[in-house]
Amino acid sequence: MKLLESSPSITQTGSIRVNQPLLFQRLRWRLLRNSVVTGLQNSPMRLITILLCSALVWGGVYGASVWGFHDLQRQHIPFAGGIVGTLFDLLFLALSIMLIFSTGIILYSSLFSSTETTFLLSLPAAADQIFAYKYQGALMFSSWAFMLLGSPIMIAYGLVFGVPWYFYAILPLYILGFVLLPGSLGAILCLLIVNYVPRKRKQALALLCVMVVGVGLIWTYQIVRSAHAALVNSDALQELFGQLTIAQKPLVPSHWMSRGLEAAARGDLGGAMYSLTLVWANGLFLYVLAAWASMRLYRRGFNRLAEGSDLRRRYGGLWLDRLVSGLVPFAHAQTRLLVIKDFRTFRRDPAQWGQVLIFAGLLAFYGANTRRFYNEDIISRVRQSGVSLLNLTATAFLLCAYTGRFIYPMLSLEGRKFWILGLLPLRRERLLWGKFAFSATGACITAVFLVVFSDTLLGMSIQVVCLHALTVIILAVGLSGLSVGLGACMPNFRESDPSKIAVGFGGTVNLVIGLLFLLLVIGSMDVPYHFYAVATPENDTRLTGWWLAAGVCAGIGLGIAAATIPLRLGARALRRMEF
Amino acid sequence: MIELHAVTKNYGSKVAVQDLNLTIAAGELFAFLGPNGAGKTTTIKLMCGLLFPTSGTVRVGGYDLQREGDQARQLISYVPDQPYLYEKLTGREFLQFIADMYGLDPQKGRERAEAMIQLFELDDFVDDLTERYSHGMRQRTVFAGALLHDPRVLIVDEPTVGLDPRSVRLLKNLLRSEANRGMTVFLSTHSLDIAQELADRIGIVDHGRLISCGTLEALRSQASMVGSLEDVFLKLTSEPSANGKLKTDH
Repeated sequence: MKLLESSPSITQTGSIRVNQPLLFQRLRWRLLRNSVVTGLQNSPMRLITILLCSALVWGGVYGASVWGFHDLQRQHIPFAGGIVGTLFDLLFLALSIMLIFSTGIILYSSLFSSTETTFLLSLPAAADQIFAYKYQGALMFSSWAFMLLGSPIMIAYGLVFGVPWYFYAILPLYILGFVLLPGSLGAILCLLIVNYVPRKRKQALALLCVMVVGVGLIWTYQIVRSAHAALVNSDALQELFGQLTIAQKPLVPSHWMSRGLEAAARGDLGGAMYSLTLVWANGLFLYVLAAWASMRLYRRGFNRLAEGSDLRRRYGGLWLDRLVSGLVPFAHAQTRLLVIKDFRTFRRDPAQWGQVLIFAGLLAFYGANTRRFYNEDIISRVRQSGVSLLNLTATAFLLCAYTGRFIYPMLSLEGRKFWILGLLPLRRERLLWGKFAFSATGACITAVFLVVFSDTLLGMSIQVVCLHALTVIILAVGLSGLSVGLGACMPNFRESDPSKIAVGFGGTVNLVIGLLFLLLVIGSMDVPYHFYAVATPENDTRLTGWWLAAGVCAGIGLGIAAATIPLRLGARALRRMEF
Repeated sequence: MIELHAVTKNYGSKVAVQDLNLTIAAGELFAFLGPNGAGKTTTIKLMCGLLFPTSGTVRVGGYDLQREGDQARQLISYVPDQPYLYEKLTGREFLQFIADMYGLDPQKGRERAEAMIQLFELDDFVDDLTERYSHGMRQRTVFAGALLHDPRVLIVDEPTVGLDPRSVRLLKNLLRSEANRGMTVFLSTHSLDIAQELADRIGIVDHGRLISCGTLEALRSQASMVGSLEDVFLKLTSEPSANGKLKTDH
């Protein structure tokens, strides 16, 4: 006998049909409203700082875009089609790939390993409604960068080339519709991986990332090789455009986006609306497909994930742990233990190392894109110096993003278990030193390798290579100190998702201070030299002059200050912390 | 009301629950005991539809949890050992969310929420955000949410952790009276005194097998001893069950 059919208490005592989508929207709205209200009541500066920082980033991207598009305009490059169209195709394709992975990874965390979804799954909530609720959250979260970075580029494009007013009106619709496509694809991939490769899901995700990066590298290499040849003859120029056709195929959604925006810019409203319809129709179709898949696969995947591995899985010491321990021989034995603990926590969380893979993929794309231009026959000394400075700055930005995203949340991630560490027979400062050693060592090794490798390929002098290496060492140490110290000053023990900790108030402050720090260091240590090298008739690459020495000293001073002051403040906050 | 038929659940090569057969009638308060890692929480998750059995079937109110889970969960309330509350909702908003999720009409939902607020003495803090609640306040709020829609089956994992003596007494009285009113209560606990005081029947699980199930008297008889539930439990779980066979009084 089935109770819902037979029991008057359930069917007749005031029960109504539940509108679950509305219920989840109401829940999201209440959570948002209460967060904003408490944020304004308790610490209005937090919200103001976040808004100001976002405005700063938006303004920076807008300024750079205006400058770039003006440059294109000066060279009489047509604003739609040709080079600009190709650039848009590549931009949106790259963003699509990033959105697929970032949405997939965020959804994996929120659907399968959060306490909230365990709670929701125990309620009579439909699996697809829980999926839709979490999917919308993941999409908003993973696409905010797209909104923040994409909108100023497109607005700058519109203003420089004087496009019709409706270009701006349909731009938000394009962005909103576009994020649905890669986001839904990421969600479907996430559900499929969890359901069909539960035992080897880490390996499957890593293999997928490696394959995507590999294919991207081969493709980029072919493009750059053609670009090199295109400087010599026009046939090769045709070949170059041929290489880019993957991004320009009519069935590639990113192409609909660029084609539609170009049509709007030209004043072809019909063409723009056609592409917009294509973007939305396919985005919504994929979303419905993802929701349909979740109806069948979400609860099943949750179950398979739980049973996919042994309850008492043995996690032994790995050679990687010994390697990491060997990299910090200077640290106290207790500090080394803490470093290994952090490393193990990190490498056993697919959501964490999955995002590191995305970072690595971005770096590989950047490296492959610029590698061929390192040839001295192609670029002049002036450009060689500029590319070298650009590489240094790109490495510095990556360091800043890495420490902000992965190092800053580390102390907060100790969470409510923090008292375990707090009661250990060790000085609390050692917790900070452990995280600092972990971060600074890894960042130094990676960053020094990157700049030395790229400068050597560029044929820069040994003095410049040493100057750049010293710069990134200072940046790695300073940014690590900042992230660890500020992470201890402003911990968020309530949040278990490192992405959310990184984009919270403390994370934003850390990011802004980190950006200012890297601009100051590069500005004082490297920019003077590069200006000097360009300005001198023979491109003098010697490192001479008191001003250069003063810049290096200032950089070192900034690095020491960035590492020690936040760490001291963090240590003081940690000593005073109550559990 | 709750029927587990030949249920086995594996995690990889580890058998968490093995060939579990159990029927719990409406209005029965059933205590589920076992050492750490015996399979209690896995069994509970199977009964809530959070996990599916590797083999066998779990039915609640006649609904198969695997095929008709949404209908079955309409009858169930589950209070886990570490309950979840939305930190940025007030207690009242959380109760309203639960009422809406179970489809209570707004007026009835408000009345039931008010009744639960009075019952669990939440008045002082129910309009604060739950992020400010102590463990005991959280636990009381979660119980208020669990009983709000008058469930047919209440599944509780370690209910008294973090509660003060007054709240423990309130909860014990409540569980007993709800069972008397017809609610099926499945109570997983390490507090043997609570199980002894409240339960109609007691099941003891060890290494994934139900090694004993029945009234306290039946358990004493199986253990061949006269003593407290604690003595009986320790004796039964310290010796391997004969051929894994279950001794029950049906």
